[in-house]
Amino acid sequence: MVLVKAGGQRTLVLAEPSRDPAVLLADLSAAEPSVRRAAARDLAPHPEAAMALCDRLEVEASPSVRAVLLTSLIHLQSPTVAMRLASLLRSDDVPLRNAAIEALQEMPDAVAPHLRDLLADEDSDVRIFAVNILGALRHGQAPQWLTDVVRSDPHINVCAAAVDGLAEIGGPETLIDLEALRRRYEGNPFMEFAIDAAMRRIRGH
Amino acid sequence: MAALFATRQKDPSPAMTDEEYAKFCEFFYRKTGIQFQAGKKYFVDRRVADRIEKTCSESFRDYFTMVRFQVTGEELQFLVNAMTVNETYFFREDYQFDALIGGILPEVARSKRRNEPIRIWSIPCSSGEEPYSIAISILERWSQADSWNIEISASDIDSKILHEARTGLFGERSVSRVSAQLRSKYFLPRPDGSFQICDELRESIDFSLVNVVNPLHTHRFRDIDVIFCRNLLIYFDDVGRRETVEMFFDALSPGGFVCLGHSESMSRMSSIFLPRKFGETIVYQKPLSAE
Amino acid sequence: MARSRESEMNGAPPHILVVDDGITMRMFYRSVLEAAGFMVEEATNGMEGYEKVLAQPFDLMIVDINMPKMDGYSMIRTIRNDPAVRMIPAVVVSTEAAAKDSARALEAGANFYLVKPVAPEDLTEVVRMIVGVAA
Repeated sequence: MVLVKAGGQRTLVLAEPSRDPAVLLADLSAAEPSVRRAAARDLAPHPEAAMALCDRLEVEASPSVRAVLLTSLIHLQSPTVAMRLASLLRSDDVPLRNAAIEALQEMPDAVAPHLRDLLADEDSDVRIFAVNILGALRHGQAPQWLTDVVRSDPHINVCAAAVDGLAEIGGPETLIDLEALRRRYEGNPFMEFAIDAAMRRIRGH
Repeated sequence: MAALFATRQKDPSPAMTDEEYAKFCEFFYRKTGIQFQAGKKYFVDRRVADRIEKTCSESFRDYFTMVRFQVTGEELQFLVNAMTVNETYFFREDYQFDALIGGILPEVARSKRRNEPIRIWSIPCSSGEEPYSIAISILERWSQADSWNIEISASDIDSKILHEARTGLFGERSVSRVSAQLRSKYFLPRPDGSFQICDELRESIDFSLVNVVNPLHTHRFRDIDVIFCRNLLIYFDDVGRRETVEMFFDALSPGGFVCLGHSESMSRMSSIFLPRKFGETIVYQKPLSAE
Repeated sequence: MARSRESEMNGAPPHILVVDDGITMRMFYRSVLEAAGFMVEEATNGMEGYEKVLAQPFDLMIVDINMPKMDGYSMIRTIRNDPAVRMIPAVVVSTEAAAKDSARALEAGANFYLVKPVAPEDLTEVVRMIVGVAA
């Protein structure tokens, strides 16, 4: 018989019920990724560690450690954490900024206070990322904010991203603004197509 | 009352228009990774109609708004329960056992020392069909099986179902895909028509109670080579999925594999694993080096 | 630019994978490319795109940069490192300033770079050129 029963012969590693936060904070910069992951995970119940997790995220190179840092930051979400993550939208590190967007989508109340600033950022790509966050945010105001973007943002790609979000979460009250946007971009095949598609979805037929 | 009754008897009008259906499918896919095949509209529509009624929603639009913005995600959970058929039987989704035998185990064996066991973890194991199917597949079909020690762990959050798994009594329906030859080799038929799995298999599998989101439960699972986690993560929200697959990452050896259910994809959950194709099935691998 | 196409063997139209997290963008690609006679498959992020590439042959992929789970650069890099599928040509489409990022796209292994919003005729022209079919 080649099947061997597992439990009996494996050395059981007993999990420490709670490890000293000071040790965990030091472990965040350990050489071994598995040690950094364990520290990042075990700091999730410690709000006072949130900024240390943000600091580590900015320099962490290992994708798996990054993932765990972000999961813990979702647990520790606060307007301050959201602000630190929002600053990563400007990062040149493409995977990092996309991971930050995903984490921000999980913290509606924490990110809400910053959305106005992000939507007014002078960099159109940052505004697009803000719109992307809104499109997947469980927040009752999200459709209204997207409508505001459609009304006032001067950049075609920011508006296109907002149309995309409205196609998913917009209600009939946004139709009038979409019609206005369609007039604004009359003759642009992509915008006409996207707006028509969004309006069809919102009308539900 | 009679009129109302008569109305209910009629073929019901659809709860969703085609556009609404498309919108619903997109949303449901984004949230759960479950994609409805073409021709599923009636199936989906009837279940959504039922949830609209049970939640006393005015219309599909009202209901859909609630599902999307409800902070607890509770209604989404009801929808998931309604849309998934939770049945298990021997050799269910057996193309994954083909991948295990034909691709995964040989690859695991290539980079492993002979004195180290190959470790497989089935979670959730439900009433045991999956871990027993894994054991039988390996014993029957993997040519290198004799050269390795193989440990199969099986876990579930439900203590009652774990007891059933340990007992190993199965009905005709559960073993319907097991050949007569394998039945006579691994099962004892019982007078009541059920089948008792043989003691050798029963005693070789390590069953344990595990809640995947409790680190105290999962901490002892280390150096696993293959995790079977089928049709569990569809029940979790985004954060629960992240935590679970990150826990799998720590439980696995470098280069270890995760097998998900056929309607599940890691591409909706996490980017720390890499898709790999074995035969017709896609499984997910923890990178061998560079963590 | 002539290539041996995957679909040429069986006479099927060229098969294009579009990878974008925006739903209207995917609908737009599908509409334009199907009208031009191509077959279109969609993926909503880079990892799903890679899974589709593993599952079936494609003649070309059109890839957005900023996407959840796996971004476009990472997806193309992953595919270029996988001997089984590394040859699939890739067009990157993004909103970012072209000069800086086209260099980055080429470095990741993309063959062409388009800037959003994309004109339908540019899209079909580039796709036709790469998969080697006449208009």
